[in-house]
Amino acid sequence: MGYRLSTDAMNQVLAELGKQYAIYAPKCYPGGNTFSEVDCIRYGEVHTVEEIETERKSDYSFKELLLPFSETLFFFTENTIQEASVIEKDMVIFLRSCDLHAVRRLDEIYLRNGLPDFYYQRLREKVQFVLIGCPAAFDSCFCVDMGTNRSDNYDAAFELRGGQVYMAARHPQWEALLRQYGEPVEGFAPSYVTETPTRVSIPADLSPAVAKSTVWDEYDKRCIGCGRCNYACPTCTCFTMQDIYYTDNAKAGERRRVAASCMVDGFTDVAGGGSYRKKHGERMRFKVLHKVYDFKQRNGYQMCVGCGRCDDVCPEYISFSAILNKLEEAMQEVRGDGQQ
Amino acid sequence: MDINVKQVRKNAFRVTKTRGITASRIRIPGGHLDADLLPVIQRIAQEYGDGSIHLTVRQGVEIPGIRYEDMPQVNQLLQPLIDRMGINQEEPGTGYSSAGTRNISACIGNRVCPYGCYDTTAFAQRIEKAIFPHDLHFKIALTGCPNDCAKVRLHDFGIIGMTLPQYEKDRCVDCRACVKACAKKSVDALRTVNYKVERNHEKCIGCGECVINCPTRAWTRSQEQYYRLVLFGRTGKRNPRLAVDFIKWVDEESILKIIKNTYAYVQAHIDPNAPGGKEHIGYIVDRTGVQEYLKWALQDVNLPDCAEVSSPLYWSGLHY
Amino acid sequence: MTVSNEYLSHWAEIREVIPHTAIEYTFRMAYQGAVQPGQFFQVSIPKYGEAPISVSGIGEGTIDLTIRRVGRVTNEVFERYAGERLFLRGPYGIGFDVELYRGREVVIVAGGTGVSPVRPVIEHFYWHPELGRKVSLIAGFKSREDILFAEDFTRWQEQMDVILTVDNNNGDPDLRQGLVTEYIPALAIADPARAAAIVVGPPAMMRFSIQALLRRGIAEENIWVSYERKMCCGIGKCGHCKIDDVYVCLDGPVFNYTRAKDLAD
Repeated sequence: MGYRLSTDAMNQVLAELGKQYAIYAPKCYPGGNTFSEVDCIRYGEVHTVEEIETERKSDYSFKELLLPFSETLFFFTENTIQEASVIEKDMVIFLRSCDLHAVRRLDEIYLRNGLPDFYYQRLREKVQFVLIGCPAAFDSCFCVDMGTNRSDNYDAAFELRGGQVYMAARHPQWEALLRQYGEPVEGFAPSYVTETPTRVSIPADLSPAVAKSTVWDEYDKRCIGCGRCNYACPTCTCFTMQDIYYTDNAKAGERRRVAASCMVDGFTDVAGGGSYRKKHGERMRFKVLHKVYDFKQRNGYQMCVGCGRCDDVCPEYISFSAILNKLEEAMQEVRGDGQQ
Repeated sequence: MDINVKQVRKNAFRVTKTRGITASRIRIPGGHLDADLLPVIQRIAQEYGDGSIHLTVRQGVEIPGIRYEDMPQVNQLLQPLIDRMGINQEEPGTGYSSAGTRNISACIGNRVCPYGCYDTTAFAQRIEKAIFPHDLHFKIALTGCPNDCAKVRLHDFGIIGMTLPQYEKDRCVDCRACVKACAKKSVDALRTVNYKVERNHEKCIGCGECVINCPTRAWTRSQEQYYRLVLFGRTGKRNPRLAVDFIKWVDEESILKIIKNTYAYVQAHIDPNAPGGKEHIGYIVDRTGVQEYLKWALQDVNLPDCAEVSSPLYWSGLHY
Repeated sequence: MTVSNEYLSHWAEIREVIPHTAIEYTFRMAYQGAVQPGQFFQVSIPKYGEAPISVSGIGEGTIDLTIRRVGRVTNEVFERYAGERLFLRGPYGIGFDVELYRGREVVIVAGGTGVSPVRPVIEHFYWHPELGRKVSLIAGFKSREDILFAEDFTRWQEQMDVILTVDNNNGDPDLRQGLVTEYIPALAIADPARAAAIVVGPPAMMRFSIQALLRRGIAEENIWVSYERKMCCGIGKCGHCKIDDVYVCLDGPVFNYTRAKDLAD
């Protein structure tokens, strides 16, 4: 059952939910972006509908709520180790369909690929997801081609239409709240994108042989290896460990993990001083194949959810979707090599 | 031909080398102009000038080849430019009321440039509004960031945009992009300590390279705009020199007040016998001593807590 | 459901410190539990960090960890001595299955620190001479000063053909000279089709050694390699060790060459 609420009523619902949950949604950080007086849209705690940014795509995804950019795992002294505590409240995360699909990818790595991750799991269990209806794609989106434009595994759905809030909840307590503050509407289903301005096509016979294509060479020079694409990506989850000891007590400290980028120097450095993928073109190939080939080989579905944030955030105007669309030609090139 | 050249000059026309011919000098504070005003300039140049225009070094437009007797018609035609750019004027249709205080120039600033820390044109227009018209010879320039593309250190007042970098350490992933950028492109004010970044505030020039290079938004800009105000640079005959730092991390209001205070100081101290009533501020300060100037300049100025005032002020440069 | 926190390490006592070179030491750690040759531990020193270290020896109630003094992580270890402790977690990864080599000729080619992960395999053959039909070991180091497990090599010679080579032996009669690959063509291999090979070392050394072994008629499926990669978790999360669709920490570090040959970093 769907419900229609005024924004005031919805704010009361949020206030009620706020007693149990910390509510996170994409919100506007005025002037918070790279360049002066440019807003940044990213996830933060919200208390009202007005704070939820529904008009603009978030520059950074929800993933930082489950995998913070910097997360303390434990504190240690000489003889003791103490796990860092977890936030007390449960969490509600508002996100679009592409990002809800990304959650499955995060779960795949952090709950199933090898042993489950304690820190991810304890946060993950606290989270309820509210799907933000997404009536129209942004310029760089290609969710339809990645099959991530629709989601039905949400705990609740939310959409603003004509200044009114439409909600549907699967959670019985939330349903009761909506009944209390809103009026029932028949047949509410969250909007989803059916076509995107950006299209991608990934060759069916894509294989690691594409590494030999010259398609990657231009990125040796074009890419600056800054990692923005990874940090903005909702499915990039690599991390690096850091041990810190406190400057005022050298015997105590903490171990943290911080988000890592396969595009940034040092990602593959081994203790002896060696490293792999020194060229940025090689890193690009590694990232692209991870997103649209390797992960699928391992898990049966594509990792990339087509949100296009990597395109939006790249300071060098390198388009991930444009690379995907070069793969067919790249495969032809390497197949041609094989025939000679 | 009987012309009061002093009035001509005050009215922003030039006494040119060609007898009988003047040139109209159009102010464009902040150097940004709505394109639909270009036909106004074009018409003046074609109907009253020689059909050409000159882009001045201070970002104005000079229309040469105008006959002195056409000045009233030209002034009439200038009115939309004056109105749209919000130039203070004594009487509509009479052109510019003064010319001593020069056009306030600015780099393109944050309307376009990724390095720009503020809207240079808007601040230029605000200063223009506060000080023009005035006969005193003041040169003011604004630049968006410490790259100083506007070369503001050649001006009486140079205004350099700064941002006070805000660091959210929990978003920092130790990629070192900021540290490298600061070391290579700026002043090497950042250090990695325990995988997080420490900023040497004393060294930091507020250029924003750390913010620009940060891939995670660990570094962001301060909500407040800050500036470095530099004083009394000049080119010219006797002692060309660069402006020196006066106040770092100063705010807009303080800058406006200091500039206005300087007008009062100059009026009180200018050599009454200065040729053409023109004496460069820097030479006046050289004569009165810096302390006397500072007494005037900082009167009723409420600097922000973070402002750092340089002392003593010392200019060098070339002496001929 | 709460899962156990795999990131928490456990103290292990350092029983003995065995210096090899100026920068490489073996730490014999008290350890109870099953460990497979070729597996690794995440070894950490609070306040510095963690690094993946291959098991270089498996004893009764002990494991050996051979650690090279490079980088911040491993320098700290060298300042600790017997009686002190280290944080460990593991073992992780898939190691060598020594049963696969039973009754076969085995060729082991190792370069530099690559000797560490294969040392438990060599020791296994040394103590169980009945298992391998014949074991040939070619080990290469930069110089005499870089040789690890020098005493072991002397001992191993009792049971197997050992070729110990350095880049320049300066006339030392105990050492051969040159790259390990130079000694592969002359190896006595009676039945190359059934022989097994293990190759561990720097990437270029591994590539050329495998080419030489293939030329000797050793089959791709009978060659095993072990990879060293950066790892921050050991449990398939951190992503650093991923190559193509493989996680070295989960699917390796030991790989059969039929899998390894297509992996491109």
